[in-house]
Amino acid sequence: MIYPKKLSSKKGDLIFKIFLISSFVLGILLFIINKLTTPDIPWATLTNAGIIYIWITVFYSIKKNTNIAGHVLIQAIAISLLTIFIDYKLGFEKWSINIAIPIIIIIANITMLILTIVSYKKYIKYAIYQLIIVLFSMIPVILIGENILENKVLSIVASSISISNLILTLILSAKDVKEAVIRKFHI
Amino acid sequence: MKKKKENKLYWRRLDNSAKIFPIAGGKKYSTVFRLSAVLKEKIHPKILENAVNMALEQYPSFKVRMKAGFFWYYLEYNPKKSIVEKEKDYPCKYIEPGKNNNYLFKITYFENKINIDIFHSLTDGNSGNMFFREIIYNYLELLHKDELKEERTARKIVENDTEDSYMKNYDKKAKGNNSAKKAYRLKGKKIGLGGISVIHEIIDLKQLQEESKKYEATITQYMVAVLIYSIYKENYLKYNYKGNKPIKVCIPVNLKKYFPSKTMSNFFSYITLEAEMKRDNLDTFDKIIEFVKTDFKKRLQEEEIIKTMSANVKLGNNFMIKIVPLIIKKILVRLSYIEIRKYTTITYSNIGRIGIIGKYKDYIDYFLMLIAPEPVEKIKCSSCTFENKMVFTFTSILKDNSIEKRFYKFLTEKGILVKIESNGVLDDISEEIK
Repeated sequence: MIYPKKLSSKKGDLIFKIFLISSFVLGILLFIINKLTTPDIPWATLTNAGIIYIWITVFYSIKKNTNIAGHVLIQAIAISLLTIFIDYKLGFEKWSINIAIPIIIIIANITMLILTIVSYKKYIKYAIYQLIIVLFSMIPVILIGENILENKVLSIVASSISISNLILTLILSAKDVKEAVIRKFHI
Repeated sequence: MKKKKENKLYWRRLDNSAKIFPIAGGKKYSTVFRLSAVLKEKIHPKILENAVNMALEQYPSFKVRMKAGFFWYYLEYNPKKSIVEKEKDYPCKYIEPGKNNNYLFKITYFENKINIDIFHSLTDGNSGNMFFREIIYNYLELLHKDELKEERTARKIVENDTEDSYMKNYDKKAKGNNSAKKAYRLKGKKIGLGGISVIHEIIDLKQLQEESKKYEATITQYMVAVLIYSIYKENYLKYNYKGNKPIKVCIPVNLKKYFPSKTMSNFFSYITLEAEMKRDNLDTFDKIIEFVKTDFKKRLQEEEIIKTMSANVKLGNNFMIKIVPLIIKKILVRLSYIEIRKYTTITYSNIGRIGIIGKYKDYIDYFLMLIAPEPVEKIKCSSCTFENKMVFTFTSILKDNSIEKRFYKFLTEKGILVKIESNGVLDDISEEIK
């Protein structure tokens, strides 16, 4: 005999699918309850946005291949989108773009800075994510340019931290950044 | 320290063939092939693990993981150790990087058997075979230190590199020769739940050689003819096919036979035989083998092979394709890949003789080669030879195994000795044949 008697098929996939379908059903259920009880307050949309955010996090977290800088980037983008959505649904007071996103950018940049300092030898792994975070951090600058923001101070601070962070990492690991860009963008 | 830094910086582009596999591949299209060695004694996992790590030192091109770039995937140095596990899943399944320390090959064992499943982006059957032999040599040397002492000192690693030999050898002016006609697709119910049936037909090589000589055919030609005949009888006629699509057999060709190359990356092309069963009235084995011999002669000409290879290289080299972001490439390729596969009925890959040197042979019973079946190409065939045993393997997702049975019956009726081994998914075949 050259094969084991019982060859397994993937059961993990099935469990994953059950959870996915369950959250889909839960989403619809919440929506119906919302419509039947308090139709004037769209709380079900917000909870559903929360469910989507959780799934983005789960999908990304189970990819063991992804490094920590990748998680920082995906969380920064996902939470920003979530806050904009919540803000929009609650009447768009612009707290998301005035306060929440700049704070998210500051936290993401500080995390990247710590990563760079603690493990600059491994920086090549983080370089490309750092560059994307810097690009993402420029969104407040665009919003200032378009005169959309009311509270500009926090956004200026966030973008400045991001640029300083980039300059610092370039000083520390310019060669790695160049190498990472060549790898990631080869055609 | 310097070596560590060098390793960290090591990366390479995927070769021209390898580019497509991670884009098109996934759980349904694993593009994984397997090589197995059945030894004459039980496998010791710890020793095997050491043997694999030694082989990785000798062939560093395998010590890599795959990363996504903005336009293409690429390979970079993998600092982790490789994993050796007991076999528990179906063969040639998609290799999940996260569960395999990011390696693009997976080593498993069961009783006397060592398996290596290789993702095609890493290498082709020919170079995969070189790496696998190295693992087997190392394993036997570690296990039988005294007996293989002399062999060990005499043995040398074959010089190799990772150049993209396609780019070096393709003809920029060559025009493609692909047939536009869709192929007959095998009919029948699928096994389901991701199951793969494996049936190995272990054939007496001398008897097979004698039989193929009667038809003045090579062994590959003879096997292809038996395969087409079995498909014709057990699927084409059985399911009462009314259309005019030909039975198309795709046969990978090792390009190292045509061009000087030491690469450990992919360097293969393929020929596709088109058996027009109705138009050419190919209703007997004699007619089929005559057709196979003629079509082989026509398609195995160097010029034809270069044409096919060059057309593929030019496609991958097209600037407009190159600059499409990977995420969009993935969507487009996955949509078109199902359509592309409709141009082949079945694939048959013969990697030929597994050359094992000296006393090492004494510890090995035979080798196996397997390729992953796909939703469109439901059966795939492969073979390899060791000493006087040729093992012809069917990997299938069809519940109906009458093609495999007909193949066996045909050979045994010709007086060729055939022994069956299977993974038991379709238990009746082994029972019936035995």
